[in-house]
Amino acid sequence: MEHNNQADQTEEICVEANGLWKIFGKKAADILNSDLRFESKESILEKTGNVMAVRNVSFSVARGEFFVIMGLSGSGKSTLIRMLLRLIDSTSGSIRVNGEDILKYSKKRLMDFRRHTTGMVFQYFGLFPHRDVLYNVAYGLKVRGDVSKEERHARAQEAIETVGLKGWENYHPSALSGGMRQRVGIARALTINPEILLMDEPFSGLDPLIRREMQDELIELQDKVQKTIIFVTHDLHEALKLGDRIAIMRDGKVVQIGVPEDVITSPADDYVREFVQDASPAKVLTAGGIMDQPEALLYEWQGPKAAIRTLRDIKEDYAFMVSRHRNLLGLVTLNRLKTVIQNNGASLKEAFTPDPPTTNPVTILEDLFPIAAEADYPIAVVDEDGKFMGEIQISSIFENMIQSKEAIADE
Amino acid sequence: MSEFPRFLNIPLADWVDRFMDWILTNFSGVFDAIGHTLLMMLLNIERFFLWIPWWLVVIFVGILAWRVMRKWTMGVVMALLLVLIGSFGYWKLAMMTLALTTSAVVVSLAVGIPLGILMAKSDLAEVIIRPVLDAMQTMPSFVYLIPALMLFGLGKVPALFATLIYSVPPVIRLTNVGIRQVPQDTIEAARASGASPRQILFDVQMPLAVPSIMVGINQTTMMALAMVVIASMIGARGLGLEVLLAINRIEVGRGFEAGLCIVFLAIIIDRITNALATKQQKSLES
Repeated sequence: MEHNNQADQTEEICVEANGLWKIFGKKAADILNSDLRFESKESILEKTGNVMAVRNVSFSVARGEFFVIMGLSGSGKSTLIRMLLRLIDSTSGSIRVNGEDILKYSKKRLMDFRRHTTGMVFQYFGLFPHRDVLYNVAYGLKVRGDVSKEERHARAQEAIETVGLKGWENYHPSALSGGMRQRVGIARALTINPEILLMDEPFSGLDPLIRREMQDELIELQDKVQKTIIFVTHDLHEALKLGDRIAIMRDGKVVQIGVPEDVITSPADDYVREFVQDASPAKVLTAGGIMDQPEALLYEWQGPKAAIRTLRDIKEDYAFMVSRHRNLLGLVTLNRLKTVIQNNGASLKEAFTPDPPTTNPVTILEDLFPIAAEADYPIAVVDEDGKFMGEIQISSIFENMIQSKEAIADE
Repeated sequence: MSEFPRFLNIPLADWVDRFMDWILTNFSGVFDAIGHTLLMMLLNIERFFLWIPWWLVVIFVGILAWRVMRKWTMGVVMALLLVLIGSFGYWKLAMMTLALTTSAVVVSLAVGIPLGILMAKSDLAEVIIRPVLDAMQTMPSFVYLIPALMLFGLGKVPALFATLIYSVPPVIRLTNVGIRQVPQDTIEAARASGASPRQILFDVQMPLAVPSIMVGINQTTMMALAMVVIASMIGARGLGLEVLLAINRIEVGRGFEAGLCIVFLAIIIDRITNALATKQQKSLES
């Protein structure tokens, strides 16, 4: 199977890892130079006492790409992301950032690299408990040693506002909730305006509601700042939601790299398939993906009698009414139409319900459930400008979920 | 029959004697210089404590105790204990003891905190220093009183030196522990930000080790105070000498008074430094 493990050739490569290995222990070099390196993690541990964390990993990330590394605990993903800024040194391989091999950097050059090029966000935040939010966020600039206090604070302030923590500058981290602490962590990484943002399970420690909110905000933020993001997670839903491409790791190896759709529809092996089976279609499929085009629409200038004929032609008891520019105006039902005609009403406007249930194309199915439960008629899909895009029959929501489950199971 | 074989005999005592001789003949200049510096510092501190009026000390201690313990009653109690020392007639001697204790603490911190940092940064240093600290704390103090006398002569300096040997271990140990217990993820975050080892030490490790170091200072101070009686045997004046004289002359009442004054000093210093340590701990947690 052809793996999509290279970034799009037309785009500029930002990070390129080649043949990365990491073995923890004193016999790392010996293991790497013998056939032992092909054995399982458990067998290596038993024979040598050393831990094989990352084996022969290669990938490249394009500038501005959101690259997700996903795997269960012990798969080596956290080690791998640390190797990308040498918090952990690789046993062998090369890591090129903008064409330079960072494994060849001197200590001084490495510190410079961390001060200017990368920002990192940690699962357990890693904030300084003895300092306030402002100091924490400004720290990346302070260590440079040549940025004035005024500039540090101005730039930190900007980052604090970006993550929505204005007013909390002088609080200590202990006064903040988990979600807010991680916002501080993100602001700290953003302050230095790095090219690359490394995020190690940043939302795993947060409760599910806050986690979703933070994911949405990260997507919004990425729209604004357009960083190259390398994001580690153990949560497939998170990976599918955020990633432009996803690398799936197991036992230190990358088993598949691809865009979310590829991972879902053609899992590279049983391991990925098992993972994907757990992914509820309700969290993957979107309203835009399952919507249909109605057979007919009603237009605002039509009269009630023309409308009733249209409905009878398509054998439906409802239709959506739109403006000249296809903006959704409301829902017209057969019963209301009949009443209007009996009362000799001349305008179609008397027959419509102005605020039918709507959704937008990127909404995931799970979020449609509450709307569907309330709706008597199909749900209209409209874009940000209010334009009508299509409709979703209530029954089709569940049909789509079942089909998608079966499709995965058949693979 | 069960006599220990002679050939296993190690003449350690001879070696130590010879080592001392060697030091005395070759390095007496060095020790004179160290001794002179210590003496100057001690004399200045002593002069200062004898110079400030007693009521100023009482007011200062009262207010300090009130501020750090957040209870005005504690301020009054601490001030009253000081007044009691004065009314027993031991004010001047108490100030001399305080001067010796303060000097010992100052030198302990100057030596102990850097050693504690070294111990935290290097596992090898920890392996070497730890048994030395154990020896310093368990070795009967009379054992090193004699070499101290030989190196510095009779007087205040060997007393200070002997006090130091006994009081410096806690601050070294607790600086080491304080730095080592700083959470790894905090240090990792600093490294990821591009902090140098030096910046990590001063921006992260030391500030987070402060509560632990404060406990070390508290213990060091108490140890120093506990040594003053023994130190008086080789020439330290103050409350310790008073106790020693009382014992020699079998004057029970006089010994009790002087001993009680040492206890009062200990209580005052302990409560204040202890409150400071807990305050630091709390400010980190909340």
